[in-house]
Amino acid sequence: MIEFLNPILFGGLFAVSAPVIIHLLHRRRIKQVDWGAMRFLLEMLAKRRRRLVLDQLLLLLVRALVIACIAIAMLRPAVNRHNRRGNGAAISRQGRTAAVILVDDSVSSRAGRAQPAFDTMKKLGVAYLDSLAPGDEVSLVLMSQLGAPPSDPVFDIEGLKSYLLGLKPSYTATDIPALLDAGLNQLKRHINPGAELVLVTDGRKDGWHEEDKVRWDDLRERLRGPKNAAVGTRQRPQVIALSPASVGIEENLAITAVGMDRTLVSAGRPAGIRVTVCNFGIQGRGEATVQLAVNSEVAGSKHIEVPAGGQQAASFSYTFPEPGSYAVEASLADHQDLLPADDRRAVSIQVESSLPVLLVDGAASQGLENKLGFLHYALEPEADHPGAFRVTRIPLVQFTASMLQDYRVVVLGDARVLEPAMVDALERFVVGGGGILVGLGPDTDRELINRYWARDGEGFLPCPLAGADTPSSTPVPAAINLGHPVFSGFGAKSDEAWKAAKVRSYFKLDTKKVKASDLDPLLTLDNGDLLVAERRRGLGLVTLVATSLNADWTDLPLQAVYVPLMRGIVGHLGSFIIPPRNLEPGGQIVYARVKDPAKAMRGEDAAGKPLKLTLGAWEGRDAVISEPLMEPGVYVLHDPTEPKPIHYAVAVSAAESALVPISDREMSRSFEGGLSIFHTPEQAAASLDPARRLSVELWKWFLVAALGLMFVEAWLTRRESASGTGSGV
Amino acid sequence: MSLLQTVQQEVIERLGNLSITARQAVESVLSGQHRSVRRGLSVEFVGHREYQPGDDLRHLDWLVWARSDRYDIRQYEEETKLRATVLLDVSGSMGYASGEQTKLEYARALAAALGFLMIRQSDAVGFVTCDTAIRDFLPPGSTMAHFLNVLGALEQASPGGETSLSTVLDEIAERLTRRGLVILITDAFDDPEAFLKSIQFLRYRKQEVRLFQVLDPQERLFPFRGMIEFIGLEHEPRLKLDGDRVRAHYQAVFEQHQNRLKSGCHAAGVQLETCWTNEELSAVLIRALAMR
Repeated sequence: MIEFLNPILFGGLFAVSAPVIIHLLHRRRIKQVDWGAMRFLLEMLAKRRRRLVLDQLLLLLVRALVIACIAIAMLRPAVNRHNRRGNGAAISRQGRTAAVILVDDSVSSRAGRAQPAFDTMKKLGVAYLDSLAPGDEVSLVLMSQLGAPPSDPVFDIEGLKSYLLGLKPSYTATDIPALLDAGLNQLKRHINPGAELVLVTDGRKDGWHEEDKVRWDDLRERLRGPKNAAVGTRQRPQVIALSPASVGIEENLAITAVGMDRTLVSAGRPAGIRVTVCNFGIQGRGEATVQLAVNSEVAGSKHIEVPAGGQQAASFSYTFPEPGSYAVEASLADHQDLLPADDRRAVSIQVESSLPVLLVDGAASQGLENKLGFLHYALEPEADHPGAFRVTRIPLVQFTASMLQDYRVVVLGDARVLEPAMVDALERFVVGGGGILVGLGPDTDRELINRYWARDGEGFLPCPLAGADTPSSTPVPAAINLGHPVFSGFGAKSDEAWKAAKVRSYFKLDTKKVKASDLDPLLTLDNGDLLVAERRRGLGLVTLVATSLNADWTDLPLQAVYVPLMRGIVGHLGSFIIPPRNLEPGGQIVYARVKDPAKAMRGEDAAGKPLKLTLGAWEGRDAVISEPLMEPGVYVLHDPTEPKPIHYAVAVSAAESALVPISDREMSRSFEGGLSIFHTPEQAAASLDPARRLSVELWKWFLVAALGLMFVEAWLTRRESASGTGSGV
Repeated sequence: MSLLQTVQQEVIERLGNLSITARQAVESVLSGQHRSVRRGLSVEFVGHREYQPGDDLRHLDWLVWARSDRYDIRQYEEETKLRATVLLDVSGSMGYASGEQTKLEYARALAAALGFLMIRQSDAVGFVTCDTAIRDFLPPGSTMAHFLNVLGALEQASPGGETSLSTVLDEIAERLTRRGLVILITDAFDDPEAFLKSIQFLRYRKQEVRLFQVLDPQERLFPFRGMIEFIGLEHEPRLKLDGDRVRAHYQAVFEQHQNRLKSGCHAAGVQLETCWTNEELSAVLIRALAMR
């Protein structure tokens, strides 16, 4: 079977007609000459008419053939004796191969009974490399190094084999679409004509992100290439999956979360720590002892039993003695399973003495009756005894940009107008990691707010305001986003408490100009309108309350739910430590509170091994940045100017623990069937044997033929006319 | 400018400006070099021949009879005036010109120059213009007045008709009863076999024949490129041909014709002089006269 590797150039075959067209055009541009010696022309024609016509046709044919040969050579014809595709099918290769090997060295590849899946993956990769021939070029792309700068392909297949065998699985999460995307980009760095994208994976379903249709559609389009592109070319690479044989769903007990029961943890007060353990098996019960350690000191342990397919939470109470950074680490003791990497999980907790909050009141006077009076007392009931919040309340006219640097949360209460410079300052504040709570009210100027604060969804306000509404039937909050940290203080049976919180007036929110996924609804009225919504802006958060924060428009401040709601919102807004201290594998420590760059900082992992630290910048500030932290666990940074060390935690993705296998059918479906899958090195070797390079490219022969025909053409032309011009008088 | 003026300017002045050697050569060739066509009383003894009944006994060489008892007749050669006939081909093909001058214009000038030179030596010159038939016939004359008439006839000559010189030559041969010189000025684009046969007939009729073949350089070079529609000057069918592709074949046929002409003329004892219209007329004249 002959196929063309550059079918896009099929149009070039039309050039075959060029000699005929030129000949016809030539005939149209005819000149007339009065000629005396006609008898010689007539005599010549009488003798040679047939020969002349034949010569002309022969010359035309030769010229057309020259162009046809060149056009066909550019189409790159290749003879394939077999071109079957599918599982276990022989792979036809088009000349020299450009191979990009994508290794899914995610944390799930550590799982395995007799040996980790990663060992089998390496053998499969070596079997593939064995099928390559000298001159083939190879790139290796690791899931754990997707962010690293791309490297050039290599021709040293033996060297690459050694490198592959020496690899160890990482703790990163799987993202197959991202890996394929990187592979397609890497393919552009290759020069060989035959292209193969080799996905070496442990065959776990998590990380394929089948639900992300946008990414997959884009990938499939890029893999498919232009219409009529031949399989195995750089336009449409051959995709091969090397995956260990599927063993079905495997049992695995994993700590999937460690969290606090509140958004703001204060020193000296008991705080709840919740450890979630999941059993990813399909039968039996998983038993284990959950041990909790705070700053490497045991803080408690609990025995739990987790049903198959379910999860169980172990709750601990712990009182952090003083403000500062703590590492809370939970682990499963007396337990062994397929994936030890997820049997331990740590989080970094920042314990505050109190959260600095700035209340900017739309009215000038103090007391309950003004815009933020209720909120002030909800956050700080006793002015003489500051609790979790340290509140400063100022009228709007005293609000300046320089104040923002001293607070983690700013609350705007029915503020009518902000200077443009203040709007800019607030945008910078929230983008840099601060939290803003915006309450509305009768003094709110919708036009001004939409124009300067919302800016069609581009400003710091979560969304524009549609207009003030005072419904005849007073709505009450009905839908509460109980899974949100703001509502961590509320129980599942708190619905009744909201029914007395009547909202007489509120602004309807115009959510059309904001992506639904960007806006997080916290509280919705029974008429369906949003009452409280949150949106991430940069590194910070903004929460918008569509009604007043005092009793002007709603009875909410007069209800019991008001205090925990407001403390939850403000606590959540101020709970983010920026730069983040809870990292994924591969993340880096970024410490931006550098007071004295001259004093050397010191970092170490849990075993006391020092970390490489460099001085850099983060959001325009001096920062100390560590090397990428590849292993999960606790890391410590010592700032000589701080009394206590800062703890950082690296945890693996909980999604990796599921170990649900992906079937060949599901894999093929992701690639619309254009995938060859091999499960064993023998199978791969049999189908990828270098001796079975079934394709032979023919373009060289066509070029040789074109060259030969050009000589024939030159000879014919010379024979016909050059001899005449050379015999001048 | 009239043809006479042209001839005077082209021939007299140019010949006058020739080097002494060349002019002497021309003059020596022309002066007294025409052999008599009649044998008889003359000052120059040629030889003996056996007496035939009817011979004049005055020519009997008695000394030979006295010595050898043989009756031989003394033979003498006498100088007489030359009777030349210039035959000018005015067929359509003579109207071709790649430059400013057609072949006929060149041939007219050549005919006039030759005529002038001969009349200047008191030779008698007749003129004939022809294509498929004789168009004009002026019997030989040796006066300048006759020459002026000839010039008038030449100026009237215009190209037209097809070439069929053999017919004309046969007719001329019939008309020329006395020995003489026939000067043919033509492109000889005719059937070479018939043409040469007619020349042989002229030779048979005791006529010395000179052939001046007038050609245009392009008729040999055939320098045309691309598609050309050739329109014949003698009513031939039009031909559309690619100049580049037929050049070699055309030149082969042309050369074949020329070679046949040369070999035929050589066999018949006819001097062939090929003249190219881009050549100086005087150079052609000198070359022709030097070859006598």
